[in-house]
Amino acid sequence: MQSTAELWSALTADSEKFAQYVQALRDIDGRVGSFLSFSPQVVSSQKTGSLSGIPVGVKDNIAVEGQPLTCGSRILENLISPYSATAIQRLVAEGALMVGKTNLDEFGMGSSCENSALGNTSNPWNLDYVAGGSSGGSAAAVAAGLVPLALGSDTGGSVRQPASFCGVYGLKPTYGSISRSGLTAYASSLEVIGPMARDLQLLKESFRVMAGLDSMDQSGTAGSCSSDQTNGTIAVLELDEGVLDAPVAEAYRQAIDALEALGHPIKRVSLQSLNLIVPAYYTIATAEASANLARFNGIRYGMAPTFAENPAELMRKARHEGFGDEVKLRILLGTYVLRSGFQDQYYGQAQKVRTLIRQELAAIYQDASAILMPVFPTQAFKKGEGGMDEYRQKTADVFTCLANLAGLPALAIPTGLSGGLPLGMQLMAPAFGEERLFALAKELEKTFPLETPEGALDIGSLQ
Amino acid sequence: MSRAHEKYDVFIGLEIHIHLKTESKMFCSCPARYGDDPNVNVCPVCMGYPGALPAVNERAMELGYLVARALGCQTAKTTSFARKNYFYPDMPKNYQISQFAEPVGLNGMMEAGFDDGIRGIRIHDVHLEEDAGKMIHAGDVTLLDYNRAGYPLLEIVTEPDLRSGEETEAFLRSFQRLVRYLGVSDGNMDEGSMKCDANISINLPGKGLGTKVELKNMNSPRFVRLALNHEIERQAKVLDGGGSLVQETRLWNENRDITETMRRKEAADDYRYFPEPDIPPFRPDEAFMAGVETSLVELPLARKNRMAQEYHLTPEQADFLHDEKSTADFFEETVQAGADARTVAAWLSSDVRKLCNREQISLAQSPLTSARMGSLLNLISSGKISGKIAKKVLDMVFTENADPEAIVKKQGWTQISDPAELQTIVDAVLHEHSAVADAVRDGDVRQRGWLMGQIMRASDGQAAPNVANQVLDKALGL
Amino acid sequence: MVPSQDEWSLTAELARLELDEGEAVRLASEAERMKELFLTMSQANVEGLEPTTHAFAGDNRVRPDSAVSFDNTDRFLDAAPEAEDEFILIPNVL
Repeated sequence: MQSTAELWSALTADSEKFAQYVQALRDIDGRVGSFLSFSPQVVSSQKTGSLSGIPVGVKDNIAVEGQPLTCGSRILENLISPYSATAIQRLVAEGALMVGKTNLDEFGMGSSCENSALGNTSNPWNLDYVAGGSSGGSAAAVAAGLVPLALGSDTGGSVRQPASFCGVYGLKPTYGSISRSGLTAYASSLEVIGPMARDLQLLKESFRVMAGLDSMDQSGTAGSCSSDQTNGTIAVLELDEGVLDAPVAEAYRQAIDALEALGHPIKRVSLQSLNLIVPAYYTIATAEASANLARFNGIRYGMAPTFAENPAELMRKARHEGFGDEVKLRILLGTYVLRSGFQDQYYGQAQKVRTLIRQELAAIYQDASAILMPVFPTQAFKKGEGGMDEYRQKTADVFTCLANLAGLPALAIPTGLSGGLPLGMQLMAPAFGEERLFALAKELEKTFPLETPEGALDIGSLQ
Repeated sequence: MSRAHEKYDVFIGLEIHIHLKTESKMFCSCPARYGDDPNVNVCPVCMGYPGALPAVNERAMELGYLVARALGCQTAKTTSFARKNYFYPDMPKNYQISQFAEPVGLNGMMEAGFDDGIRGIRIHDVHLEEDAGKMIHAGDVTLLDYNRAGYPLLEIVTEPDLRSGEETEAFLRSFQRLVRYLGVSDGNMDEGSMKCDANISINLPGKGLGTKVELKNMNSPRFVRLALNHEIERQAKVLDGGGSLVQETRLWNENRDITETMRRKEAADDYRYFPEPDIPPFRPDEAFMAGVETSLVELPLARKNRMAQEYHLTPEQADFLHDEKSTADFFEETVQAGADARTVAAWLSSDVRKLCNREQISLAQSPLTSARMGSLLNLISSGKISGKIAKKVLDMVFTENADPEAIVKKQGWTQISDPAELQTIVDAVLHEHSAVADAVRDGDVRQRGWLMGQIMRASDGQAAPNVANQVLDKALGL
Repeated sequence: MVPSQDEWSLTAELARLELDEGEAVRLASEAERMKELFLTMSQANVEGLEPTTHAFAGDNRVRPDSAVSFDNTDRFLDAAPEAEDEFILIPNVL
């Protein structure tokens, strides 16, 4: 039985079949809208390695030399990246093919992919529903079978939530374990590039290839997780009634039962600082974002207004015309919480709350090898007005933001369907505990086999 | 001191920026070089492209700690970077990576010589940061060149301990000397490797600091002096007239010799400093600090004082010799090889200096090495050549780039010290000028000097003076 | 005029965000809502805690000081909205 990697490798090496694949992809993506730009001519890679011939979708905030780097924003609509992210370089060195840039919420800000100024992505399971965000395009591309591997970035859940909405695996690695060089910064101390795939082995291998210190990123870290002393105990977050939608609550119970059945002692825990997670996250994230997005001012690259009387006006106009509402809101908030007179109360307080949260988690990990949590309180919601309002989307980030504030690795695992839409759970490990997460996911594979949406690309049909 | 000084206390503090002498920029590997075509020493990092991250330059960190140490600061056990947020077209990221909470050095002191003696000026802090790009204003447009963006800068902030334009100029020159001695920067205000902004306030005695005015655009130590003195008078006039001063930034206009309010002053920027998340804190270990100690040379003032004492130099000689480290090194090397200190000092401060000026090169750039200096002085002291000839030899060292012995040999300038040979010359001169000779014999000793001159002429300056004197005196019966 | 809108206008100016009338009102009210959420953090007991300024306290990271030129720097000029003769152009600052 050929592995996923082998199947794809064989396909992309065969130019006729590859052409069929490209056509099929275009047809399907005409409906799903996962790619903002597609560069199939990349097929003739000279490199061979563990990812030989694997086509990869790359979130359009990660730099690939010679390909667009729009970040889903008008202000960078015409930008072609002059360099490649280190993570991309490492994938390419192993033979992977960067075949296109996927849609995202503008600059990574959002939980639906509806905040993109340049594209429209739908959930492959039901086109009336969102793919999730901010890495919605990558999740949809993998779920729809367009690529076996896609990259996203996870600042507050942006890999795990869309992965969960689309029924695929999504890994948020340990902060610093994959170089951020080439990842357009949104929140520098919180985010990391993360792979998404349907095949666990491929997910694992892509992480292994990308991980490691990089001289271009001095915030990187390397390390290892000590071996488990808790007999595989899984801590399970206790939640109040009604916090989760019914199908999600049910899936949560099933996941707990499954782990128990697999022989893992279960330890129920509550997080005192649960209600502090979202305010702390958004304070820190917006603060860092306000500085990270200051560079976009229509002077050195990107879109500039057709006329401005002076440079100050040029900058204001470029940002006014180029940024969407959500981006403007977060820049505004981030600037505010850093302002003289407010900084201690907001940003300073948030950084201390962050320490408090880390301490609480450290205590939990004394007695548990991993923590099980939901990814999001709901399944994928409807697109447009009938969906979830922006404020609620933010407060719903509570389960995912936790891993970002603590810098810990977390893996979103698909756990079946309800009402035709995917369900997912997440496991979070101590720093550098990715192996633990992969192992647990492998165990759960049998209980929750992956499903495939109707109309997904089946490369088997191209053979 | 001016009239204003009689009535008011003056408080001047400085913010000095120096370009550090590194190969690459502060946060990326682009060349840190002057004079290249615009926008060629750039990369995604220093152009502020999306996704680009800063990587701290090791050498810049070393130089930062070295200066902090040399200025007597408490050097940081942990040093960290911060983002200083403001928008300007020459800023690639619209924030500058600087230092705020944990700079490389705090609470130092630098001694400098002023008119009324040596005094310590307190250093508030020393911190690392990056430079912005360059703007050239041309008609309708401004041209942007980002070659300089990301250059490693060290900012030195003093306390308001300076009292006048003169003191400030003296301090700046001392500071320049110090950073050049350390080899951390060229410290050149006209080349742009050093910039100085001043904060000045005046107040009635005993009332503490007054309303602070920031002065910018002073492009040399001399202009700093002029600008500050002008500003002191301006402020005094305002206060004398019962008015009050506005806290503002003023620019020195070197064409009109006045300070002017900066046009279109932007609303006071709130820099919103916060810790730079892309760069982890730096904790220098023992090896690092040991390296700093090794690089810490004897500082200019200490060197001047020691040399003056050790070699019995005059204040002027000590001043001249210590002004550049290469001169001081040259001097001491030559003396330690056996030459007489006062003699070396005299030669360096007169003839050598003249030649360097004429050729428009520094001593370090010249063909004169301390070995050659030593051998030249040796030739004089051993009587092989006269002082006069030595000057010609020195000139030829510069023009021919040759060793003194070789020059003397080639030119045939060896002094005539053989009494018999000199006797012949003396006899010839006395014979030609017998009247003068007789006059001297009769008692007109003043004319003896003239005869000596004739002997020198007749011997092409090669007559060894002491021997020639003896021979002449004998011939004149003196 | 909602008092808090002035705060947000000043904040917008610090961020060089020009907001038109409608935007200013809408964003100010959303921002106020988020601000209220942030204020709930004041209830946390963070006495004696150090702020987390960096995700992980790594070893010293420094880069050796050697100059490497970026390949094909022409593309930076090509990418600029306005460029001429090796310079990037903007309207005159003065």
